[in-house]
Amino acid sequence: MKRRDFLKWTALSSAGLALPCGLAALGRMAHAARGPDLVVARGASTPQTVRAALDALGGMKRFVAAGDVVVLKPNIGWDRAPQYAATTNPDVVGALAKLCYEAGAKKVRILDNPVNDARRCYRQSGIADAAATAGAEMVYMDGRKYRDVRLDGKALKSWPLYGEIFEADKVINVPVAKTHGLSGLTLGMKNWMGIMGGARFRVHQRLDESLVDLVRVIRPALTVLDAVRILTANGPTGGDLSDVKRLNTVVAGTDQVAVDSFGATLFGMKGSEIGSVRLAANAGLGVMDLSKLQIKRIGV
Amino acid sequence: MTLARTRRIVQGLFLALFLFLFIQTESKGTDELGWPVRLFLDVDPLIALTTFLASRRAEGLFWPALILAGLTALLGRFFCGWVCPLGTLNNLAGGLRTTQPNSPGAGWFRVKYYVLLGLLGMSLFGVQLAGILDPISLTIRSFSLALYPAASFAATSLFDAIYRLNLPLVTPASEAVYGLLQKTILPFRQPWSAQGVFIGLTFLGLLALNLVQRRFWCRFLCPLGALLGLLSRRSVLRRSVSEECDSCGACVGVCQADAVPAGKDRWRASECLLCSNCDDACPKNAVSFGLMKGRPRGGLDLGRRKVMASIFAGAFAVPLLRISPLARPRMSDAKLIRPPGALAETTFLQSCVRCGECMKVCITGGLQPTLLEAGLEGLWTPVLVPRIGYCEFGCTLCGQVCPTGAIRKLPLERKQQERLGHAAIDKGRCLPFAHATPCIVCEETCPTPKKAIWLEQVVVKDRNGRPIRLQQPHVDLAACIGCGACEKHCPVVGQPAIYVTSAGESREEEHQILLQPPPVTLLPSASPRSA
Repeated sequence: MKRRDFLKWTALSSAGLALPCGLAALGRMAHAARGPDLVVARGASTPQTVRAALDALGGMKRFVAAGDVVVLKPNIGWDRAPQYAATTNPDVVGALAKLCYEAGAKKVRILDNPVNDARRCYRQSGIADAAATAGAEMVYMDGRKYRDVRLDGKALKSWPLYGEIFEADKVINVPVAKTHGLSGLTLGMKNWMGIMGGARFRVHQRLDESLVDLVRVIRPALTVLDAVRILTANGPTGGDLSDVKRLNTVVAGTDQVAVDSFGATLFGMKGSEIGSVRLAANAGLGVMDLSKLQIKRIGV
Repeated sequence: MTLARTRRIVQGLFLALFLFLFIQTESKGTDELGWPVRLFLDVDPLIALTTFLASRRAEGLFWPALILAGLTALLGRFFCGWVCPLGTLNNLAGGLRTTQPNSPGAGWFRVKYYVLLGLLGMSLFGVQLAGILDPISLTIRSFSLALYPAASFAATSLFDAIYRLNLPLVTPASEAVYGLLQKTILPFRQPWSAQGVFIGLTFLGLLALNLVQRRFWCRFLCPLGALLGLLSRRSVLRRSVSEECDSCGACVGVCQADAVPAGKDRWRASECLLCSNCDDACPKNAVSFGLMKGRPRGGLDLGRRKVMASIFAGAFAVPLLRISPLARPRMSDAKLIRPPGALAETTFLQSCVRCGECMKVCITGGLQPTLLEAGLEGLWTPVLVPRIGYCEFGCTLCGQVCPTGAIRKLPLERKQQERLGHAAIDKGRCLPFAHATPCIVCEETCPTPKKAIWLEQVVVKDRNGRPIRLQQPHVDLAACIGCGACEKHCPVVGQPAIYVTSAGESREEEHQILLQPPPVTLLPSASPRSA
């Protein structure tokens, strides 16, 4: 375990145990010395924007070591073309896969458990093509490879989650920013529903708490929020181009709560308006208050 | 190489082509299949003729079938002997019968002509049931809805068992094989079939009839064979027997049909499958096939009364079937949800040949064969069962593979407006309505660009009187296309809290429920089968 990870884990578990937040602050101080908490990059060329965002965070080498098997988890939940912003932008996914390989990754695997037909989702989203170009592998979920994970959370005691997420050396969450009827927005934390097996539509009865329960056990090395296009209405499926807004933006960071909290501002909302962000921050799983974060904005 | 050997190789190649096209009848993530998957159906003159007679629709462009009909008139039943996949499967199953010889059953070969005439009589008066017995339709249906799903289930169960055992060497090897099979011949997902046992046992039963007589089906029952037989009565490719023949009878026992009765020049052109077994078997080498003129001596002799009786029986079946209320608008089964682009029910039934192509290609597996939901006349026609699979918004494959245009091939934008019916909410089961529990899954999965399910913010009370703020779903009939995505994903298990019925389906004028149903862009009238 790296020093940084160790500090972070210490900070998080302390916060989780409701110990004085002094330690958490300490952790963040150590963190601050390493560069920004969040990078918000904006530019016309999506691959360059992604690259610039990663550079500003210290480069992909900070997250991916030589020989790593990396899992990218975009949102490919729906059978929609990229311009509808219902799925993660394929250029973002492709650029990340390429950066992972440049950092020495042995294998980059891309997966999601879509709601619509997986073949169509993978292809129509453009992500299958982007993966092929980058040399990454699209993985269709194998029903046998979900395993019951003990969550002991407020809403979920245990749930079948996709094993690869825990077996991979590194996981990178690559959500797209869009509206959602129940959670208000779907951003990074909501994207973990895509590794849930079982009767996952039951989760909506206590959605925000369930997402926080998931975030407790799923620790991505990095979260890259795709806001190249955002879907501002009729989400999460979309289908009407007039609901799509082009922002040419990606938000990258290691704190999933912080990324989501910033993501809310893209829709003119506050992180505190998103239930999962609020609950996760209260549980000490990350920082919601943007004023406490070092945010680096770059134009490409 | 003998002619019979060449014939076996050709049969093998056509069976391989048939299976290949069958396997390719599956989405690869786009809305094109890339192969002419319904080729065998397209060249089938029985399907073409009965569909035309029953539906009086000529827009089907049946020219490939005309080609086969023309070739048969010239050359005879080469299709049966050399091409037909069911014929080849019958040949293979014929290996089960080890006792020779095949004594030709007296006049039983005529039965298939009466079957054909009955079907034609039926279709003349508007009932299309030829697809039930057409060998191509029957074979594709049996593969789609029984054999292939069963084979997939068996393979998957086996590989899963080895996977769970997690044996060193064995499991990795079996996983490698499994991966390869998944990429090549196994379906992307396990297909479920509501009629698997019925259809599968019927098919196996037909093959088992080879125990009674080799190629029992082809000799005695096949209506396509009968139609091709009628066409080939004056074919120019003929069998001739030279003076060498001493009437030893060797050819009679090896004949795959009943074409060679004991009398040496009473060869029946209508029955000959051109298998050339008689040529091979002849100890005197007296048999040859060649181009000849004139009329062969061995006739059909169907009997005028029997012909009339067969046609009449078929015709009489029409009113018998039609007095069922189920095929009537406004009296039909509410859950009879037809695929997108299906013709209005009466014409649909007159056009659907129950080949099972649409059910094979259906990306979610939601298209299932009916049993009696559409009356006996509608046996094995496709019905969407959303709890099994909804209609995928971006998919038009069922319309593309339908051989008769019973499901029209609609452009995607047009298909996305096609209403299969409407969703309705069961407020007694719906979590936000009945149980003060948040849930928006139907709204979330609704695929129309402007969601047909909208949410109302309400405050309800639980049993302790505590106010709970949640959202209750409503269906907007102006936007709902009845695709069933909501029903499929509704977390209320068993009978869902939101479900689709055919009420409001755009294909049936009498099934509208709104005074002014949302407009659907009018179809160009021509060519449902455009390539």
